[in-house]
Amino acid sequence: MNILQVEGLTVRFGGLVAVNDLSFSVRTGEVFAMMGPNGAGKTTAFDAIGGFVQAAAGAVRFEGKPILGLAPERIAALGIRRTFQNNGILREMTVLENVLTGLELSTPSSLLGVVTGWPAAARAERSAVVRAREMLEQMEIGDLEERAAGDLSFGQQRMVEIARALVAGARLIMLDEPAVGLSPNERLHLGQVLRRLAGTGITVLLVEHVQDLVMAVSDQVLVLNFGRKLVQCPPEEVRQNEEVLEAYLGNG
Amino acid sequence: MTLSTTRPGARERDPAAAARRRALIVLLALLCLLPLAVNNYVQFVVNTMLVYCLVAVGFNVVLGYLGQLAFANAAFFGIGAYAAGLSMVHWGVSGPVGIALGGAAGAVLGFVVGLPALRVKGYYLAIATLAVGELMRWVYVHNDAITFGPGGFSLPELRLLGMTLDETLKYYVFLFVVTLAIAATSLLLRSRFGRAFVAIRNNERAAASLGIDGRRMKILAFVWSGMIVGLGGALFALLNGRVSPDTFGLSQLLMHFAIVMVGGLGSLAGSVIGAVLLTAAPEVFRNLPGLEEIVFSLMLILVIFFMPKGVGGLLSDAFPLLRERLYRRP
Amino acid sequence: MFMQLIASGIAVGSVYALVALGMTVLFRSTTVVNFAHGEFFMLGAFSVLVALQLFGWSYGAALLFAVAALFVVGIAIERGLMRPLQHAPHVSLAMMTVALSFLLRGVARFFYGREVIALPPILEGEPLMLGDVVLLPQDLLIIGFSFLVVLGFYWFFQKTRTGKVVQVASQTPRGALLVGIDVPRLRNVMWGVGAAMGAIAGILIAPSTLVYPDMGGHMLIRGFAAMTLGGFGSLSGAIVGGLALGVLENVIGGYVSSAMVEITAYLVILLVLIARPQGLLGEWRQGRA
Repeated sequence: MNILQVEGLTVRFGGLVAVNDLSFSVRTGEVFAMMGPNGAGKTTAFDAIGGFVQAAAGAVRFEGKPILGLAPERIAALGIRRTFQNNGILREMTVLENVLTGLELSTPSSLLGVVTGWPAAARAERSAVVRAREMLEQMEIGDLEERAAGDLSFGQQRMVEIARALVAGARLIMLDEPAVGLSPNERLHLGQVLRRLAGTGITVLLVEHVQDLVMAVSDQVLVLNFGRKLVQCPPEEVRQNEEVLEAYLGNG
Repeated sequence: MTLSTTRPGARERDPAAAARRRALIVLLALLCLLPLAVNNYVQFVVNTMLVYCLVAVGFNVVLGYLGQLAFANAAFFGIGAYAAGLSMVHWGVSGPVGIALGGAAGAVLGFVVGLPALRVKGYYLAIATLAVGELMRWVYVHNDAITFGPGGFSLPELRLLGMTLDETLKYYVFLFVVTLAIAATSLLLRSRFGRAFVAIRNNERAAASLGIDGRRMKILAFVWSGMIVGLGGALFALLNGRVSPDTFGLSQLLMHFAIVMVGGLGSLAGSVIGAVLLTAAPEVFRNLPGLEEIVFSLMLILVIFFMPKGVGGLLSDAFPLLRERLYRRP
Repeated sequence: MFMQLIASGIAVGSVYALVALGMTVLFRSTTVVNFAHGEFFMLGAFSVLVALQLFGWSYGAALLFAVAALFVVGIAIERGLMRPLQHAPHVSLAMMTVALSFLLRGVARFFYGREVIALPPILEGEPLMLGDVVLLPQDLLIIGFSFLVVLGFYWFFQKTRTGKVVQVASQTPRGALLVGIDVPRLRNVMWGVGAAMGAIAGILIAPSTLVYPDMGGHMLIRGFAAMTLGGFGSLSGAIVGGLALGVLENVIGGYVSSAMVEITAYLVILLVLIARPQGLLGEWRQGRA
């Protein structure tokens, strides 16, 4: 079952073609990694799929539904969450509040209910807090709950962002370089979390440079260069691939 | 995987929140007894404080929480006053209805101001909202038939349930309105809506990736802010018994700025404190021309330099118990 | 009548252009929108008054005094109030200039109370007739002087080395620092220049509009409207916007209603921001937001 299908995705910035006719499919429950040298177009592809950047051409289907060109909020509502390369953390909120914000769409409190103190609304808010706390415990960052997110280390912020992306039960999680800034221990932990997620049927699409993580965790690896797909294969085969080596060591 | 301290359906009891709630109830009880202790003049000043509490709280929603440079507060204040006053003069509605209309008018203007806020930000928005404020004043001045022009107008005698509203009765009406408004705003800001505002302020892209509809939330913030400040404007009209256009210009806006900054952006308690502190002041300065402006602007400058978090921020730092969930860090 | 409106429009528009130019210079060099700029305008006019009435100086000396005084004021404000807040959030900076605006207004009001004073025009004389159009000598002076200032600016920025240095410093302050340009000093001087320009505009138009503490606020919004119309942050935009606004005001006043003159600026701001935020010459798409 293909949860995500990308066909002929092309993104242009002025004269520069950042993503060039990219096509790939991701199966449900897979951990799918996108690799490539800097500037290869990985984050841009992410942005296009997520609705943050306009695509010049192509089609993207999530669970069979076309999503290319939809606003990011709508795409989130369909069951996709993502993290950002350069900090998507909400600095001024606490860790708990960050994760609570992840439950925005799952908290059935109406405006009127909230401002009149309607019990149902209050209950909805409270159960959101419970869910958020559980997620923090799962990610083993429960003790950070009351800390301001902007005060945390980079690695901790990453964890918070991932917790926030996971808390609402999204079916496709897109992680943009989650391992950057993480200590080896944290990377190990992250890898475990990702594999566990995949085990529960959640699909993970990630952009990553850190090869160890990618190799240990992914089912499929797609290598990009200059916005084009070079290869797509299981991690073990990537190492042997001539083109990939050249991309990284040669012109990349 | 569940935590041992949370059973499904268990109510989260936060001891700090319970203590806060009790303190507020005591405070409210004391406030109800206030008129017994003060004379008419002091009562008038207290009533003015209540009005500016609403002004500050409303301003804070857009300036402090949403973080937008929207300088339309004086416009919201003005339209609330005019809506309340004019409805009472032209249609003969009672005070409470006038107040409600003031809030509604503020909400509508909030919506109107919110729309350009979706397109422009920062200084552009500041300028545009200033323009809206001045435009409104021009409308008040140039529509004599309806708005009684530059001289303004007086409100008819205020009556409630057969009684003429004196300062004390006004106090109870104001206290009622202000308590409800601040309570509702507090609930709003502690909920997912308040979080959405701050999320948009911190990182709009991240907020969108979580499903937060930036456009809707911004409009909501503006409409809410307009409504609260509009209510304040209505109360202001009732307080003074008069409404005139020159009250709602830039000097008024300066006072709003000063109150919100002294109190602390993003702090509701701070807004109340700021309102109380700064409304007591002007009486002294009314007599000498320009003195009021000088004092307020100096205060604002000093606060910006030395106390950017305002009184509310200072208190939050000193007393964790008082810490509000989301305060702005400058 | 149409030509008359255009001519008067250009005269008042030149002042708007000067104000807008001063504000743009400040904006480009320091990325701060100065809400107190109207007060530089007001203080310029008041300084002439003070020099004439208090010091008893000649008109010429008073003019020089006013310009010099405001230059100093601009420098002092940058050094004392703006520089310490460089890295503060935008809200603080915006508030600072707003507070400053009221402080200066309050001071002027404190000393001059509710008086509204007339300033004699720089150029006395009979109105001149050019075909159907009547122009006061003061108007011609305004247009001519503004033209000179604008020309001077262009020459400075495009032709001289210092001018190019200033442009670089405002576009990439860090890069400029690396190359050894004294960016703080430059910013400081630019504030002095911006303030002086505001003062000049105030001096030029004061004879027609009378001198009073709130005259600055009135001019501030016109300045904003000119900048918005022409293209926020663009020097040529400030000039084009200013002239266009002046003409627009006069035409609307003449053909629609004189009451509408006052709100032309507000409507321009709102319409432009809704329809075409980058203005006519749209150079600066997104400033500090």
